[in-house]
Amino acid sequence: MNEAPIVRRMRVVEGILGACFILLALRLIFLHTRPDPSRVRKADASSRFVRIQPAPRGRIYDGSRTPVLLAASVARKDLCADPFILHQRTNVAAAVALLAPFLNQPASRLEERLANSSNRFVYLQRHLPEEIAEPIWQAISNAGLHRSYGIYLRDSTFRKYPHGDHLCHVIGFASRDVVERGLAGVELVFDRYLQGVPGVIRGRRDAFSTELYTLREDETPPVPGADLYLTVDGTIQYFAEEAIEEAIIAHRAKGAWAIVQRCHTGEILAMASRPAFDLNRFSESSADQRTNRAISIVYEPGSIFKPVVLALAFERKLVTPSQVFDCESGSWFHEGRILRDYHPYARLSVADILKKSSNIGTAKIALLLGNEYFYEGARGFGYGRRLGIELPNEEAGILWSPRSPNWSRLTCSRMAIGQGVAVTALQMAGMMSAIANGGYLLRPWAVRRVVAADGTVLKQGEPEVLARPISAETSALMRYLLTRVTEEGGTGTRARIEGYRVAGKTGTAQKVVQGRYSETDYVASFAGFFPADQPEITVVVGVDEPQPFHTGGVVAAPVFARIALQTARYLALKPCSLDNESSIP
Amino acid sequence: MKRGWQFGEVVRNSQWLLTGFVAALVVIGILFVRSASAARADPVLQLLYRRQLAWAAVGFFLYGLLAVVDYRRWVEMGGGLYGVALILLVLTLVMGRTIYGSRRWLNFFGFTLQPSELAKLAFLLVAVWHLSLPGTDRTRWKTAWVVLGLAAVPAALVLRQPDLGTALVFPTLAVVLLLISGFPWRKLLLLGSVAVLLILYLAVALVGPKWLGMGEEAQQRVFRTMTGMREYQWKRLTVFLDPSADPSGAGYNTRQSLLAVGAGGWRGVGYGAGAQSALGYLPSTVAPTDFIFSVIAEETGFLGAVLLLLLYFGVVGCGWRTAWRATDSAGRLLASGITAMVFLHVFINVGMTIGLLPVTGLPLPLVSYGGTFMLATLAGLGLLQSVGIHRKPAERL
Repeated sequence: MNEAPIVRRMRVVEGILGACFILLALRLIFLHTRPDPSRVRKADASSRFVRIQPAPRGRIYDGSRTPVLLAASVARKDLCADPFILHQRTNVAAAVALLAPFLNQPASRLEERLANSSNRFVYLQRHLPEEIAEPIWQAISNAGLHRSYGIYLRDSTFRKYPHGDHLCHVIGFASRDVVERGLAGVELVFDRYLQGVPGVIRGRRDAFSTELYTLREDETPPVPGADLYLTVDGTIQYFAEEAIEEAIIAHRAKGAWAIVQRCHTGEILAMASRPAFDLNRFSESSADQRTNRAISIVYEPGSIFKPVVLALAFERKLVTPSQVFDCESGSWFHEGRILRDYHPYARLSVADILKKSSNIGTAKIALLLGNEYFYEGARGFGYGRRLGIELPNEEAGILWSPRSPNWSRLTCSRMAIGQGVAVTALQMAGMMSAIANGGYLLRPWAVRRVVAADGTVLKQGEPEVLARPISAETSALMRYLLTRVTEEGGTGTRARIEGYRVAGKTGTAQKVVQGRYSETDYVASFAGFFPADQPEITVVVGVDEPQPFHTGGVVAAPVFARIALQTARYLALKPCSLDNESSIP
Repeated sequence: MKRGWQFGEVVRNSQWLLTGFVAALVVIGILFVRSASAARADPVLQLLYRRQLAWAAVGFFLYGLLAVVDYRRWVEMGGGLYGVALILLVLTLVMGRTIYGSRRWLNFFGFTLQPSELAKLAFLLVAVWHLSLPGTDRTRWKTAWVVLGLAAVPAALVLRQPDLGTALVFPTLAVVLLLISGFPWRKLLLLGSVAVLLILYLAVALVGPKWLGMGEEAQQRVFRTMTGMREYQWKRLTVFLDPSADPSGAGYNTRQSLLAVGAGGWRGVGYGAGAQSALGYLPSTVAPTDFIFSVIAEETGFLGAVLLLLLYFGVVGCGWRTAWRATDSAGRLLASGITAMVFLHVFINVGMTIGLLPVTGLPLPLVSYGGTFMLATLAGLGLLQSVGIHRKPAERL
């Protein structure tokens, strides 16, 4: 073998070796000296983390002297999984077998949840209490299934409502998300206060998601949400709820509602609506159950609207209480239609028109008012607009303006008896309180105080005058006339309670079914206040579709009496002296 | 005739520079195996560097032993060693330990041996022995077939483990030996074109189905039937072509490795401070072994990486000089074969670490953690040293 070709070959190999080294060196130069900035950023970012610590949501208390806890968040743990990681790094069936005994669900369900291997997040079980979460975590750690293998626990909170369906429509509820967000009631309206400020931890971690504590950059502890103190008194609320629940059963009604309000301040002491739902299981409730009937449904008020007409007439001095009107023996032909009275009367004084609830008499008085004044006056009593209670879904009702095309020649006489106008129970409470308190329409309010975690009062509820539809004199006169409604011969005798004089008005409204007034479906209501001489409390009761009795005097007045009596005793109101006769001023 | 044991000859002819480079590399290796595995509070990992130290000590003993004995004796024993290596490879397939899905390790009285590393050296010896036989005509096809055949048997056994990277080392070394031994260019080119055709076939199997718009599973099925390779190999090759295809799976190590190298900058972040390995982003299973270069590059930066490459350049240079100066073809072939083996590992390993080549799992000689490979490499370099020391033709004594 000659040497020359060998030498040449070795030179060739030498060249290849040299070239390869140069190639490596070049690549290194580019990698080191001109690193892709986005890549470096990514490397840095992948080791950094921001952990949000949920702030405990504020609590909700009632308005009694020793506040009762109505809603609070408790610390829980969510068991979460990353199916993608789990499928890559471990045996899913083994993980399921490990967890299934701890969780209250069959293994097949867990497997189903973990089945999709491209999924990056599933909840295996939410809101585990510490005593269950701790052994689970032990088992996970012992089996080596810690976070980098796709199963981990996460801090969470769980909103608890200790009283179930008590006051459910006012309290409302919060979502079950990581950050609980109010979805209904004051939970929704005061969400901003209740939420608090989440804490932030910024730091770095290794590839196994273990934090490097020495490199922690920022730690801001969470600020708990503010607490809410309602005006609603749990005891009075209980009276109201119990009373309407029994009324629903007794009268086979579809629903019922009641409002108790302090007539001099506008504070809501109770707001009950049935059917109701358990706040702890709000997701299982129906829209019908969630409807707060005290503010969110509107209906034609019927006779309850009559005090508006009389008060406005007195205010303008268009009539006097003793003035007599021809009640046409129960049937009056007006503007091409016949208007009837429930009980026919030949002639009635203005005072008796109210006491006997004469449709014809009231309509004739309304005609004296004039359309424009009637409309403005009704608005002054709060009809046709939202009163601004701190609850969602308050309806404004319907009150046509005389300038609107909906206003016909019949409207004035029909609106006088509560037809062609739609109201909420809250508006009736507002009207009654205005009559009771000397003529001031007050904004109804349900939240007395918002108190931050450090004790500072963030918001203090105060009485607020929305309008002054009538003077003090008219108010006093109306108080007297409404008291007569509950006296012998009036429509509201069943609203009377022992020891207190009661003023109020019954209402029996036909519901409109398929565009016509129904002969079978009614809303029976009673709105009143007591003690009639020095009014303190306004109560409004409505019963939806009672069967077979359907008049406000029979169905709603006893419910009113029951709530009123219990409330009067609970609040220790001063009984009136029975011998002191009131007289027409 | 005290051939090979003359102290004077050993001292005079041995390449102290080579020993120095090798020792430096081994020390660097131990230091960075420690750095790469110290981060995790895992006692087994933290003791890795001590075990590496023990392997290195045994390795240096072998290095010395092989250096002072005339390499011709080892070449003569090549056939026997080759046979032993094949038996070990078969045993590995039968009763080896399976780690990360491949069966590469053999338990030996408490030691874990990786026979495929020993087989590389055994193949070199037997191939050199055959090529340097007086009766071998190195210009004939028959010679090529014999050498390639000798390479094919261990390659096939290793491929079964499966370990594609190591298997490919055998035919590559065979081609290098044929090239150096004077196998005609034309025939070599013919062999080369066959290899190119094979690679083209592989590329068609890999890219063709995707180009035709097949789904991933269909692509894998076509690839399997066309090449007989496994699914994970398809993944690795695909990821090499497009590292972003599977960022958390097969491409993860490469991506993290590139980040580590880039993070090093000019001067590095400092010994033991490499975030990529310390924080576990470069998994602790590969950081001390296949991806040790990226740990070094991150912690010592461009300067350290280049210094390391220069040390390898020195080793390869010394090896090549030995090949030049060898006085018989056995010595020249052995020296160039060993040099090529070391170089191949360095190039493929560093190349994969810095994203030039697909991930094949070839370790970095003398630096990566791994006992058998440390022994094999030091033994090979001992043989290289022996070629240098005993370059005086035997006939003249």
